[in-house]
This record gives sequence, C-alpha cells and structure tokens, in this order.
Amino acid sequence: MSTIDDQTTADVPQTPEDENGHPKHDPAPAADSNAPVMLSFIIGIVISLIIGWAVFPKLLYSQKTQPVNFNHAMHMDPEISAEGCASCHYFREDGSFSGIPKLASCAECHEDVLGESEEEARFVEEYVKTGKEVPWLVYARQPDCVFFSHIAHVKMGNMECKTCHGDIGVSTQTRVYEENRITGYSRDIWGKNIAGFKKNTWDRMKMDDCAECHKANNVNQGSVQTLRGGCFVCHK
Amino acid sequence: MKQAQNHTKNYLYAMAIDLDKCTGCGACMVACMSENNVPFRRDETDQLLSMKWLRVYKLTNGKAYPDHDVCYLPRPCMQCAGQHEGHSPCVSVCPATATDYDQNTGIVSQIYTRCFGCRYCMAACPYHVRLFNWWDPVWPEGMEKMLNPKVSVRMRGVVEKCSFCFHRFQQAKDRAYAKGKRDIDEQDYQTSCTQACPAGAITFGDLNNPSHAVTQLVKPDHKHHGRPQAPHAFRLLERLGTNAKVYYLSSREWVRKMGDNYLKNEKQAGSH
Amino acid sequence: MKLDRRCFLALSIGGAAGTALTPLPWKLTDDLSIWSQNWPWTPVPDKGAITYTHSVCDLCPGGCGITVKKAGDRVIRVEGIEDYPVNQGGVCILGIAGPQLLYSPTRVQKPLKRIGNRGEGRWEPISWQDALAMVIDKLKTLRAADKSHSVAGVFGRDRGTVAQLFQRLLTVYGSPNFFSTPSYLDNYEMTLYLMHGMRASVGVDAKNADFILSFGSGMIQGWGSSVYMFKANSLLKSTGRVVQVEPRLSVSAAKADEWVAVKPGTEGALALGLAHVIINENLHNSDFVVNYSTGFETFKQLVLGKYAPETVAGITDVPAEKIVALARAFARARKPLAICGRGQGLTPGHLSDYIAVHALNALVGNINRQGGVIAIPEADDIDWPEATMDAIAVAGMQKGRIDGAGSSRYPHSRSLLNQLPEVLNTGKGDSIETLFVADVNPLYTMPDAEATRAALAQIPFIVSFASFMDETAQMADLILPNHMYLERLEDVPSPAAYPANIIGLSRPAIGPLFDTRHTGDVIIALAHALGGNIAAAFPWQDYPTCLRETLGDKWNELNRKGYWQGPEVAAPLGFGTFDTASSKFEFSNPDLNAALESQPALPQGDATTYPHLLLPYDTMRIASGPIGSPPFLVKSVDETVLQGNDVLVEVNPKTAAALQLADGKPAKLKTPKGEAKVRVHITEGVAPDVVALPRGLGHTAYDDFLAGKGVNYNALVGMTEDPVSGLDATWGIRAKLSKA
Repeated sequence: MSTIDDQTTADVPQTPEDENGHPKHDPAPAADSNAPVMLSFIIGIVISLIIGWAVFPKLLYSQKTQPVNFNHAMHMDPEISAEGCASCHYFREDGSFSGIPKLASCAECHEDVLGESEEEARFVEEYVKTGKEVPWLVYARQPDCVFFSHIAHVKMGNMECKTCHGDIGVSTQTRVYEENRITGYSRDIWGKNIAGFKKNTWDRMKMDDCAECHKANNVNQGSVQTLRGGCFVCHK
Repeated sequence: MKQAQNHTKNYLYAMAIDLDKCTGCGACMVACMSENNVPFRRDETDQLLSMKWLRVYKLTNGKAYPDHDVCYLPRPCMQCAGQHEGHSPCVSVCPATATDYDQNTGIVSQIYTRCFGCRYCMAACPYHVRLFNWWDPVWPEGMEKMLNPKVSVRMRGVVEKCSFCFHRFQQAKDRAYAKGKRDIDEQDYQTSCTQACPAGAITFGDLNNPSHAVTQLVKPDHKHHGRPQAPHAFRLLERLGTNAKVYYLSSREWVRKMGDNYLKNEKQAGSH
Repeated sequence: MKLDRRCFLALSIGGAAGTALTPLPWKLTDDLSIWSQNWPWTPVPDKGAITYTHSVCDLCPGGCGITVKKAGDRVIRVEGIEDYPVNQGGVCILGIAGPQLLYSPTRVQKPLKRIGNRGEGRWEPISWQDALAMVIDKLKTLRAADKSHSVAGVFGRDRGTVAQLFQRLLTVYGSPNFFSTPSYLDNYEMTLYLMHGMRASVGVDAKNADFILSFGSGMIQGWGSSVYMFKANSLLKSTGRVVQVEPRLSVSAAKADEWVAVKPGTEGALALGLAHVIINENLHNSDFVVNYSTGFETFKQLVLGKYAPETVAGITDVPAEKIVALARAFARARKPLAICGRGQGLTPGHLSDYIAVHALNALVGNINRQGGVIAIPEADDIDWPEATMDAIAVAGMQKGRIDGAGSSRYPHSRSLLNQLPEVLNTGKGDSIETLFVADVNPLYTMPDAEATRAALAQIPFIVSFASFMDETAQMADLILPNHMYLERLEDVPSPAAYPANIIGLSRPAIGPLFDTRHTGDVIIALAHALGGNIAAAFPWQDYPTCLRETLGDKWNELNRKGYWQGPEVAAPLGFGTFDTASSKFEFSNPDLNAALESQPALPQGDATTYPHLLLPYDTMRIASGPIGSPPFLVKSVDETVLQGNDVLVEVNPKTAAALQLADGKPAKLKTPKGEAKVRVHITEGVAPDVVALPRGLGHTAYDDFLAGKGVNYNALVGMTEDPVSGLDATWGIRAKLSKA
C-alpha cells in the first residue's frame, strides 16, 4: 500500500502542520466526510449479503439431471408395487438394504416396453436391451464413513421412509440432482435451505439430525466422551 | 453415565487368547488386514511403521540351546475400560472426540474422519495398538477390488486401530432384525481373527453373559474390574489398571510373567 | 464520490460483516472439512449384496473347504466352511490372502508368446487359436519324427482329473514322461508299498491320537493338511502330548510339550534307538507283532544289535536316558503316533527314516485303526476306459522314462523330477523337445536352481499353463494361462495325509477376470486337434462334461455338499489289510532291509571349507511352494526374519561370537552351490554352527512386494539322491558364514 501513500503524498498539496507537527484537518463538517464511509459500509453489507445468500448457493452446486426420468407415483400403484416402497427398495435376507434397484429388478417387468411413455421406451432401449446399469444419482448418499442401518430404523424403529426421504413416492418425475462442487455430495444432505434451516424432518441429513432423534428417543446413548450417542453407532 | 438404555442391551465384548494353542501362524493378522482394508507397502519390515491392527509378538524365555523356548502373542486392541468405565488411556486424552468408549458394547471406537492426527492416543496407549497413517493408502492396480465395503478406507494423517470388527456387530444386529430379534447370539458376532484362527486359539464373546465361552474361560471378577480368576489366565500390564478386555491363557509361567513388569523373583499376581 | 482509503476499509468491513450474516463462511467451512475427510484418491469400495460361494481351496495340497465372500461382483474375503470335515471353519494364512492372488498384477491375463530371449520378459499377445495351433503343430511334428517320448509334462500333482487328463494325453500320444512334484508323500507311499505291500497314500489320524511323536514334521508349519493338523495340535493340548524331534526350535518344537534337540540328519537313528528300547523292554504290542506281522525277528536283531541307547546317544546327541524315557512314554500311550517328513515335507528325505518311523507305529500296533496311521488305497475315482494305442504310442511308451523311475535302478519309484536336471545336463539320456508345466514352478522350488535353469535351457519348447508370471513361466516360450483357483471348476483330490478319502469340488466364485482358459479344456482341445486314437481317447466335448461324467454318481453329492467322502478306509486289522506276500505287515523283506540299511547321503561340501551347516525351515507366513507369497503374507513376516530386502539367518550366540557378528548385522553365506548376502538373527533356538534360513524368499518373479527380498534356499543347496528311491534326500548343506 505504500505506493498509494506515496502517490497521495506527491499529488495532494502538503497538509499544513500545526506546531506539534500533527496535520491540521480541514474544518469540513464531520457528517459530510462520514457519509461516503457509511455508504461504503452499507454497500459492502448489501453486496456480501447478495453474494452469500444468492450467488454462493448458485455457484456451490452444479445441476445434474437423472439418467432416466422416473415416475415414482405411477409405480406406487398397489397393483404394481404391492408392498409399497419395499417392493423395489427391499431388505435382503441378511438385513442389509438393497437401495436403488439394479437393472435386473427393473427388467423383471420392463423386459419390453410396457407403456406409452417415450422415457420408458428410451430406458428399455438404452439400458435394458444393452444390459448397462443405470447410473442413478443418489440424493441421500452419505459419505463412506457413515454407517446407516435401514432395517434398524424402518423395521425395528417403525419409522416411515418419508421421515428421512420426504414423500418421494408421490413424485411424478425426478428432481434435479444438485451436487456440491466441493464435497461431491448431494444438496439433500445439507438441505435445500442454504442457511441450514429445516421445517420437516426430511429437510436435512447431517449428523446432528441423526443425533437429535437418537437423543430424543434415547437410542444407543452409550458414549463416555460426548455423553450422547456412541460414535460407532453411526460411523464406520 | 449410567442411564437407562432404551431398548439397548448392554454387552461387554471381550476376547480370550489361548497362547498354548496359538501357533504364531499369522492367519489372524491377515484375516484382520483382509477384513479391515488395512493397506500394505513395499517394505513393511520396520515394525514402527507397519500398519497392523493385530500384531503377533514373539516372546522367548531367554534360556540357552536346547532349553530355549518361544511363545507367540497376538495383540489386538485391548479395548480398555479403565478404572471407571470409559476411562481408557486413549479416550481420556483425545482432544477431538475421535475415540470413544461405548458403554453398550465395551468397545473403544475410532472415527477416522474425526481424527486430526495429533497422536496423543498413541502416546497414551500402553500396548502400542494405535498406528498412524504416514502415507495415503495405495493398492496395486486392480487390487482395490478386494476392499470390504463395510469398513471405510483411512486417509493419510489419521490414527487407526482394531475395532473388534465392530462392523460385524452392526451386521449381526441387522441379521437379527431381519429375523425380528433384538438380541444377538454368541455365534452371530465373532471377529475376523477369531473366526479365521486355524488353531481355535481365540475365543470371543460377551462377558455379561455367563454362558458365553469367553466368560467361562477367564471367569472375570466383575467386582475387581474384570480381573481373571481362571488359573493360567492373565491380562497384559494388569497392574496398570487399564482393565483390558483381552485375556490371555498360558500354562507356562514364564509367559504369564512376561505379561507384566515383574521384579526378578516376584511371584506372578493371581497365579495359581 | 471518490473511493478513498477510509471508504475502502468501510466497504471491506461492511463486506465482512455482511458475509458473517450469510451462511457462506459456515457452509464453506463445513464443506471444506468434508472434502478434506474424503480425498478423491482414497478409494471407496462399491457396495453391493454380500454373497458367498462354497468352494475348495486349491493353493496347497491341504484341500480346505472355503467360502468366498463377494460384495456385488467383487471377491472381498475367503473364509473357512464350518462344517467342512477337513478344516472345520479354519483357514490358513495363505488361503485368507487368496483375493490378493485373484487381483494380483502378476496374473497372466492372456496367452503370451515369447519374443525376446528367455527370461527377458518380452512377450507378444497371441490369440488362443494361434497359440493352440502352435502347440499342435509342434506335437504333430515330433510324433511324425518318432519322437513322441520326448514330450514331457510336469504337474503339481498326479491325482485329480486335470493331471490324469494330461497323463492320458501323453500316454496315447506316446510318452511315459509325466512328472509330479515330489514330496514326503512319495516316501510315505513307498514305505507303505514296502511294508504293507500296496500302493496307498498315507493318512494320519492325528485328531484321535493321544501321543504324537514328530520326527521334524512341522505339524503347525504346513505338514499334511495344515488346518487339520492345527486343529489336531490344539486338541492334543487337552487330550494328549506332542513331542517334536528336531535340530532347530521350530514353531512346532516350541509349541510341543517336549522338544528333543537332535543332531541334524540323525532322526532315523533315533527312531531305531526308540525301537530298541521298546523291543528290549517288551513294550511292543505283541498282538500286532505276533498275529499281523512278519519279519519281526530280523528287525529285532538289527535294532538290538546296532541301536542301543548309548550308541544312539552318540549318533544323535540325545542323552541315553532321554531316549529310554521317550520310548517308554511313546509305547505306553494309548494311541501313539509317529510321523516323519521334515518341515512341510517339500524335500522327500531319506526313505530309511520313513521306514524306521513307520516301524515304530507298527511296534505299538497303531496301524489302520482310529488314531493311527492309515494306508488309504489308491482311489479309483477316475475310471476311464482303456485307450486304444497306436503303434507310435506303444513304441513311445516302451522307451521308458527319462528319469529312470520304474527302471531296475529305481524299481519302486514313479516319478523322479529331481533327476531330470542331471539327465538333461549330462546328455546321458534322451532329450526333451517339448515340456508342459502346470501348477509348478521348478525353477524356484527345485534344489540347485542353476542346474535346473541349465536343464530348462536345453528344452527347445516350453509351454506353461501358469496363472501367474512366476520364474518358470518367464522361461517359457508360450504361456496358456489357466483360470486361477477362485475362477475354476475342478476336483480337488484327497488332502495330504488326511485320514480319509475325500474329494473336494473347487467352484468358480467369479467368472474369469481375464482371457484365460481352463487347462482341462485346453488338454481336451489339444487331444481333439491331434485326431485319430488320441482324439478318440477324449470322448468329452469339454472339461465340465468330462468332470461330471468322470465323477459319475459322486457328482450329485459333490455338487450339493462341495465334497464327497469315501467309505471308512480304516479297515479293521486282519488278513487282507496288507497286500504283501505274507498278507501281513512286514518288518523286514529284502527290499525293505536294503532301504533301511542304506547309508544316508551326507550334506554336500567338506567341513573344513564349510564349517557350518545350512538348514532350511518352513513357516506358514511365507509361501514356499510354486505360488509366491501375496503382499499380506510378506507383511506378516517378523522383523527377525526380514529387514528391508535382507533375510536374517538364525545363528547361535556362540557361533555369532566366534564370527564377531552382532545381531542384525550383514554377513556372507557361502555354500558349494552359491553365495548370498544375509543378516544374522542371534537366537538360542539353533545349535552352534547351524545356520537356519526360511524357505520361500528370494523370488526373482512376482511383484515388488515379494521379488528381490531375501534369498532362495534352493539356490544355495544341491540335490543328494536317496540310494534306493532316487528321490531328493537333501536336508541341508555345508556352509560358511562370515562377516560381510
């Protein structure tokens, strides 16, 4: 910054000095000289608020569309999915959760085109016929260090799928998948609200959200260090 | 903290290793590495740097040929409970809450993503069970396919240690849930080393359950921090008060005496 | 308005204050911490359904039942099967590391044709069709030139359908030169032939014995079916006693109830010394001796005359009173069992030792009964119709084996691979024009590596079925890679020394990862292409068909249970159990006496130039057979065995002091066959002047985790033949250890 100071010294006429060697200020009113400073301050606040609340979230997430536009609502027809969500997202014999169905499960019905939707025809053509797995983008994918047992929550805890995943069963098309450019995880983990506020239980899937429920229900509160949940309950 | 646990049974998992049966073959070490995604490097001969959750030590009686004798001692994490439950040497010093003692299982956890690598726990652990990742793990091309999805892979800069294959406990619970049960049986949860040991030297189970083989083998005195009452049973550095949950059995006195720092002519504590 | 310094500062402060009121800093901190916890270069294994495939491990002759665990389509673990009779849930260190072999970068991924010099490592991929055409062309040319007997095959074993298919191919093609890897089992087979009068393999019912006297056998170092022996050893901790006779404090010796430190190479004499005490004190089982044996008097005279405890003490360095006490303890046990074959039994050893040890079992009558030694008659699993031989085949077969096995020189032997280098290098016998190798790595596992290399160099065309680029595969001209064991369907013959006849089924846990082919299929394809009688002898379309038809009524059970167990073979004692001329167990007959009294060959080298004795030892942590140790095994090796790339040899403190060698310091080890740089590990576990070296190191092939580490024992030792069997009887070599 010294160069600016130097220039200032060179361009501006020398400020007269008083007897003590201190520069004498012009007798201009204080309000006049503070106004631009205040204005700058407010501009600073406004700009940063715009960046922080509006620009940053746009920059942070990239938008991706699912490889196939899937209609959950149509599949939830009891004639197709007698067991609701579990018809496709089932538990295996060892209690592990199957997650998103593999192509083979889809092909059980969609070996050939069943309906009239163009999307289905494309799905059958591109994936079923070629045997290529669909590269679904998983909204609820947690980092690898997280251990989560679906069966403990759904079967033993009698929780509904939508408590965490929202009422996805009524959706007629897949949402845009927003991927965090820094972490690579879905926006659903942090939540749609950039401030991290949540209204519904399914709005966010951070560690605190798990802990909140565990604490409230006094589940696995065996930790000595935190006096709360044992770390290994949810981590691996 | 002893609060009523909502539908959570309290287990106290422990291990007994019969050193008379142990052959030092190393199957437990490799079973552990294979199960827990332990990485390996080109040169692993420096034991201070070699990542082994379970290491087999070789003990000798120091006598001359042919009175010389050798014994092998497998050493997993001791899962110390400390003088009051949870006062484990490592847990008490961790500034990051990365390691913790779980009162539901008696297992000391280590959360790698939480750890920032200060290594206080390594200094505190009297058994050298904790190891630091000085390098990023690298697998030869194609060999990363054998990684176990149930255990997360650790990155450079964090400390790791044996977890009594906690993921197997989680899987055992899932299997039980699938059958509509809450409790798990003795055979449902066994560590990888226990299962692999070809000599059947390792016994693993719940000390809170008197019918479990491990309880019958070591006969823990719950009033005295689980001190073993069975003849020939001992714990490493018993007098340090770590209240370890790994017990050893040996019919050879010189082996039992190696388990702690004894004076030359001192009698072994609790020997029968 | 002009932006002066104050305004700029105000803007910045305003910006900072505003930013603090947005989620940006908190969200960014959170994201960065998550990012830093999940480096993109740290692999995240794919999830998938966990499935298990039951199979049988084929990495060693142990034949353990394994279950291969998969996550999705990836093999992630190998575990033991709880209810498999051989291993009952246990699995050895090498078996557990199986997935590392499956995904090893040292796999041969497609057929390869050598383009550079041998061993140079320059290869050219070749299609299966062209590769097979090359082999067929070669075989046709040789046959047309009446040189069918110059084709040879070296296989890991002589039992099982694949080995039998190849032997059949050689036979109808016109060559008797089928070789299998020699081991202690060959000596046992010959011992049973001479004493029981039948071709049988040995079964050791270790689990039901209550006293095991092991003459150097590494019960917990891989002798027999390792996991079975481990379990037996553990069982004996509560039900019996194990005594280990061995010059070095091996793991087996350390874990035994008693270790009898014996002078190297004198185990046979000690066995006869024990026999002396047993007979002299009338402790033998008179029912067995009187009713079921002949030749006892001759044997008695020999033993009483030459092997008094005092004499034996002089030979073996074991005190006479110890010999007497041991003999009494052995004879008074309920189910005493004596076993033989040093370490893992990789070197067959002296036939006389086996006879002496087996005589002990006979003296206590512990033969063909529970807890004893059981002679398991050769299985008739493979019952293919006799093949029609054409004139060339008959002529070729009449030429006799190149190694002299079955000739008047070695009448009882069937295959003498160890004789092959000398025959080829001296040019005394016929030559070998084409050699097939499968499941073996002779260049690494055979003694006198230099001689073996020279012998292989004489063979113009070497075809390898190797799954891994091992030392021998590197010397091949053509590699037709086999599926590795986790990828293939194959029968696994009865485990080594297992006390029952049990066939296992190795099943593919995963489809072939690479462009490899089952050796069984390749053999059948070759036979079909050769046409005529040869094709006719192989009436199967492919290997799976052959396997199913060969196993016949056993197939269903095998497929369902994963194994087929034969009927109880421990025939009650009686006439018919022994197939000798006398129909009794023979303590003595001319062949037997010749073998028993044959002078054991001494280790090579003279004691002045080479004052020390180099002995090998086996450890479970290092694979010493044809397959090199995968990285996990190398990682498990103690710091007292390997430091950096240097192997440590065990040396007694007295020897070390005399040589002024400190623990861990480098030294030079020289033998008549070669020299190597080593380090010393000072231990009281070996006798003075003995230098002990682990087997299984010193590979030049395989990956960075194994190659170049330590020294190959086989490169330092020569072959000394047993005068009767012709097998390799080497148990050590004279050496000179000196300061580097």
